[in-house]
Amino acid sequence: MKKFTFNGVIGGTIIALLFVVAAIGMVWTPFDPMKLSFSARLAAPNGLHLLGTDEFGRDVLSRLIIGAQASVWIGLATVCFAVLFGTLIGLTSGYLRGWVDGIIMAFNNALLAFPGILLALGLLAVFGANQYGIIFALGIAYTPSMARIVRGAVLSLREREFIEASKVMGNSEIYTILRHILPNCLAPITVLATSMFGWAILSESALSFLGLGVPPPAPTWGNMLAAGRPFIEQAAWLGFFPGLCIAFTLLGINLLGDALRDKLDPRMRGLK
Amino acid sequence: MSSQNTLLSVRGLTLEVIHNNGAVVKNVSFDVSSGEIVGIVGESGSGKTLATRSIIGLIAPGIRHTSGSILYKGQDILKAGDRALRRLRGGEIGVVFQEPMTSLNPSMTIGRQLEEGLILHTKQTSEQRRTNILHMLTRVGLKDPSGALTAYPHEFSGGMRQRIMLASVMLLKPALLIADEPTTALDAVVQRDVMELMVELTKEQGTAVLLISHDLPMVARYTNRFVVMERGVVVEQGTTEEILSAPKHPYTRKLLSSLPFRGDVRSIDTTAGPIVSARDIVVDYPGRKSLFKKGIAKRALHGISIDIHPGEVVALVGGSGSGKTTLGRTIAGLVKETSGEILFQGKSRRSDWFDYRMNCQMVFQDPYSSLDPRMTIMALVEEALRLIPDLTTAEKRQRAAETLEEVGLDKAFADRYPHQLSGGQRQRVAIARAIARRPKFLIADEPVSALDVTVRAQVLDLFSNLQKRYGFSCLFISHDLGVVEQIADRVIVMQDGEIIEQGDRNAIFDTPREAYTRKLLSAIPALDLNDNGGVKLKWRLDA
Repeated sequence: MKKFTFNGVIGGTIIALLFVVAAIGMVWTPFDPMKLSFSARLAAPNGLHLLGTDEFGRDVLSRLIIGAQASVWIGLATVCFAVLFGTLIGLTSGYLRGWVDGIIMAFNNALLAFPGILLALGLLAVFGANQYGIIFALGIAYTPSMARIVRGAVLSLREREFIEASKVMGNSEIYTILRHILPNCLAPITVLATSMFGWAILSESALSFLGLGVPPPAPTWGNMLAAGRPFIEQAAWLGFFPGLCIAFTLLGINLLGDALRDKLDPRMRGLK
Repeated sequence: MSSQNTLLSVRGLTLEVIHNNGAVVKNVSFDVSSGEIVGIVGESGSGKTLATRSIIGLIAPGIRHTSGSILYKGQDILKAGDRALRRLRGGEIGVVFQEPMTSLNPSMTIGRQLEEGLILHTKQTSEQRRTNILHMLTRVGLKDPSGALTAYPHEFSGGMRQRIMLASVMLLKPALLIADEPTTALDAVVQRDVMELMVELTKEQGTAVLLISHDLPMVARYTNRFVVMERGVVVEQGTTEEILSAPKHPYTRKLLSSLPFRGDVRSIDTTAGPIVSARDIVVDYPGRKSLFKKGIAKRALHGISIDIHPGEVVALVGGSGSGKTTLGRTIAGLVKETSGEILFQGKSRRSDWFDYRMNCQMVFQDPYSSLDPRMTIMALVEEALRLIPDLTTAEKRQRAAETLEEVGLDKAFADRYPHQLSGGQRQRVAIARAIARRPKFLIADEPVSALDVTVRAQVLDLFSNLQKRYGFSCLFISHDLGVVEQIADRVIVMQDGEIIEQGDRNAIFDTPREAYTRKLLSAIPALDLNDNGGVKLKWRLDA
């Protein structure tokens, strides 16, 4: 049996690269990403500045490397937030059913009915535009869909005979939930979590683009993309490279997500 | 039979799996004459369904026809074009599939589904179509045929749906009817009614029937001739009489010897009093609630009392909806009783729930869903030992391995996952899990009804051996009276949430008092073994 699929390898490589770049950025960048230079304003990619410079003469490559940190951190933290609370809410709601489910799901559906970005905008207005605000706002915006998916999985699982078998064995409900229900929800959770990682990066970019993200001069891919917009005709690289980074990261995440789902499912680990 | 009478002639049919060229149907030949009923008997994987689907030109994706021919009225179906096939399907050759839940379109009314075929294959006016449909629905025994026209499939029970399915096929007066496990999904009594109806209808219209099933006695009952298939090969064919009385091929003999036979009469010591007794158990299922009114509860059990003595196997039988499963699940503690009490060793089970749990285990019906797909076989059995006090981890592991060995699964299985096992092996794991604690009482809910005939016989053997060795009492829930006859000491017959008859196994099987019991019994044969490894099937008379 093949250990990894082609897609998994590609996706894994892209994501590993992203993490490595983010880590390198903590100790070293080709240039100081904040250093202004009026002599090198809007320089096209050249031997010195591999990806060119922006309207203040800052090195785009260096800023992208630093921006990767913000993207990875915001993406990961948002996903952890949504997975943690979404799974908790979904498990509770799906397992207990009855009025608990009714109340939780009514609230959940109300949140779902809000466009995520609008919800995040509203929350950011309350919490202030900084990275913690973004994580919190996006986390809250994504939790309902995670809760919904987990609840659906739990609802179908709790009717399966192996859950009843666990009850007949005398296992406590908490044990049954943790040992039998949760592991069998992992596939949908993984798939959704990986897509969420992508959405979170994208939303962070969108929020930065709207001016509600991480405040400048700190670079994120989103605010670089936004900052590049007025110069699209003179200096296309300002928007192009951050956009490319976002697109590749999303591609990598989706490929990795699919591969992980197959990997986590013992039914896919045939004897072949 | 004369050759001009031959309706369908399958010659040397071979089908292969495309990616590895493995033959799944090998050199299969048989004939069906006009008006004749021919059976094909085989277990899962015997290729019987693949072979018969290709008769209507349906070859599953991934499968390729390599040699042989299927001649229908002299025309080779495998060479026929799409137009010719469309004319044959439905119009000339009708098919009834196994699953009445999925073979009718859930979002179309019965009337429209029945009309579809008539529009395609006949030139009748809509007035004629309506008359014909109503006539046919009346014929298959629907109580309100004109009401049924505008009803949807979910409004009918499984048996009724299969009748409707039959009606839709027979409306077109096909020359050949292919019935693929037509009654397997139905319970014993309904099964028989549907089969009788099918035989009557096809006889009236002179339709030939190709009856495909794993159920050898059922096929034997309705056919003059049948074919036995194993792993894609026809191992034996001939008249029903010949095959039953003198089977030639070892596989046929194995199939026949796998049929359930009456077990020995055992004496049960009842002096110590019952180990488990249920007292006046009532279970209500809450009705559908709406915003302003409380739903009307549906009473599933009307005050049931039963006693099970140490070492005794008590069978709970009845059709679907009889409440037998609800009773089993109530005793297992999965359904809460509305009123009544369950006593364990003379004391209310509530007084020591932990002790009751340790000693009362359950084997479920579906081996595909009763094992957690994420756990290895070893982990599954070990889990049953988790809560046992004073047993070290090493001892638990040891016990789990021993138990697996006892159910016939060696060390190689320990690290596998359920999906890597066959249905029979999974049910062995489920049994191992249930007996690992050495419980005093076991509830088995249809433990073998999802298994093939020969596997079923093996699992039943295993079960009764374990029962003898450990002496646990058992409540055995089943709609299959053949299995019950083999394994039970005492039989309780349930209908509509009430016990209508109970007694020793032989008394119930030989001198049933209630009409309903007789009806249940009429669905299974009594077997007489002969010296050639064959059997004589004796059908018990109807009420």
